[in-house]
Amino acid sequence: MQTSIQSGDSNSVVRAKDIQFAFGEGELRKQILFDVSFQIEAGEIVLLTGPSGSGKTTLLTLIGALRQIREGELSVLSRSLHQATATELMLVRRQIGFIFQQHNLLPFLTARANVELMFDLHPEIPKAEVRRRASDLLESVGLGDRLDYHPDRLSGGQKQRVAVARALAAEPKLLLADEPTAALDSQSGRDVVELLRNLARTRGCPILMVTHDSRVLDVADRILHMEDGRIQSGV
Amino acid sequence: MRSILRVAWRQLSYHKMKLAVAAAGVVVAVMLMLVQLGIRQGAIDNSVAVARRITADLVVVSPRTKTIFQSSAFPRRLLFRIPGHPAIDRVQAAYMSQAKFRSPWDHQEFPISVYGVDPRDPMMDLPGLLAHANELELADRTLFDRRSRKTYGPVAKHVEEVGPLMAEINYRKVKIVATVNVGISISTDGNLYMSPANFHRLFPARDPGNADLGLIRLKPGLDPELVRKELEPYVGNEARIVTRQRLVADEEAYLRDTAPLDFIFGMGAAVGFFIGFVVVYQILYTEVTNHLPQFATLKAMGFSDRYLLGVVLSQSFMLAFLGFFPGFVFALGIYKISTKAIQMEFDMTLERAVAVFLLTVFMCGLSGIIAIRKAWTADPADVF
Repeated sequence: MQTSIQSGDSNSVVRAKDIQFAFGEGELRKQILFDVSFQIEAGEIVLLTGPSGSGKTTLLTLIGALRQIREGELSVLSRSLHQATATELMLVRRQIGFIFQQHNLLPFLTARANVELMFDLHPEIPKAEVRRRASDLLESVGLGDRLDYHPDRLSGGQKQRVAVARALAAEPKLLLADEPTAALDSQSGRDVVELLRNLARTRGCPILMVTHDSRVLDVADRILHMEDGRIQSGV
Repeated sequence: MRSILRVAWRQLSYHKMKLAVAAAGVVVAVMLMLVQLGIRQGAIDNSVAVARRITADLVVVSPRTKTIFQSSAFPRRLLFRIPGHPAIDRVQAAYMSQAKFRSPWDHQEFPISVYGVDPRDPMMDLPGLLAHANELELADRTLFDRRSRKTYGPVAKHVEEVGPLMAEINYRKVKIVATVNVGISISTDGNLYMSPANFHRLFPARDPGNADLGLIRLKPGLDPELVRKELEPYVGNEARIVTRQRLVADEEAYLRDTAPLDFIFGMGAAVGFFIGFVVVYQILYTEVTNHLPQFATLKAMGFSDRYLLGVVLSQSFMLAFLGFFPGFVFALGIYKISTKAIQMEFDMTLERAVAVFLLTVFMCGLSGIIAIRKAWTADPADVF
């Protein structure tokens, strides 16, 4: 079913309407998402909660332009992802900041080099500017004194903070986070989430965060709860 | 894309041990390829060295002769017809055969190649021969090739430092008056150069009316190939006339036909290539596999497959560079050692160095491309 997006604020960062998504074909077909519709407005912090297997991560990968959407309408940063080519998806991803459960930093690069790497996608920014911005970012996540440390010499919370700095490096227009606190103790988890919130607020960058962690729910403007592939409630 | 080289190098050099192993693999591969190809070329070059030393414009051989090392004789009288042609400057017969050389030290006999050439005008490039021309005209005098194998004893050393040496050759007492610097091959261990008269003294059973080679020098400025055609009727089907270049080419072709040089040494070079390929592939593959989540993360964040290929291929080429130069130096060392050990010349040529360098780059690049495929198939959605 194809419907055009008719309603809603044209400034919405994410607009989803009637998304269906299934893995597998034929008899093995397993539908994960049913009629998912929602919007994220500029500057909003939205949490996505729900039990495992409810389709949160799948939804996140669709919004993150990591999977092809086949049914329904999904527009991210004013680009329709329906039937987008792999290259188009890649270009959308360059405007999105990602934070994963695992920090996934390159172990052979220092904190600074990991952040600077992101500017490779933006060759128009001069080298001196790249260096300045990378150290500013690490400063702002409280790692100004760890610039030249390799990831294996940083704690779990510090690594995740480098990952936050990396995600924000290229000034993304949308930040997607998948359980960024899952691998952290409660205090560092709390620190990372608050950091995220503050940075997003000052930059006006909207966040969609998947989380199980009830301790961080208070940072949200809005909480979407998913169950069995459907959005149950939007607070 | 500006960071590709830096990222590639940081990853490659992060584990120094791994880098050392990978580079060592390339070093071994480069060394094997250079040494095998070098020995192959050395064996060919040394074996045609005698043919290359001929300075005559045309050479007469028996139609049955396949290689001048095992030449059949042809009637010498044929050569007397040739000066009738106006283009001819000089014609002479040359002789070669195998004799038994009895070492004056341990009294054991070893085969040695004997050449009978005119000492005043040998039409062969034999450095040092002319200086002894007068003495070689005397009965039972010969020159000894100082690059002959050690099996004959320290002949050259004795002749050069002490003086002429009496030796028994084909049961005849012969005086070795001096040495020449010519070179041996895979088919001969040592060489003696003497006058045709002395040659026949060593081989009394040979018919002096038969020659092994006819050496023809033309008057200056004439095309040897044209004259060769005009001379053919002079000798009919009793002998064959070839140009000097053709003789060398024939020798080389015969050698490659009968001795499986290309196969044996080609195989050795291929083994080297394969070792390098496997080691480099193994290192790059584990690097890619160990960092699959990170590579997938890069893809998720908008880095292209081409970027990842760039990183891994840069690492391939870095390994190629890191391995080639030490491998090259080691190979030079082995050339030196081999030259000493088997008294054959092995030289590094620019073409071989360039060819092996290109092979190395290809080997590493191929490993890199195969290793990166895994990262290409990595689905960035799996990172979540």
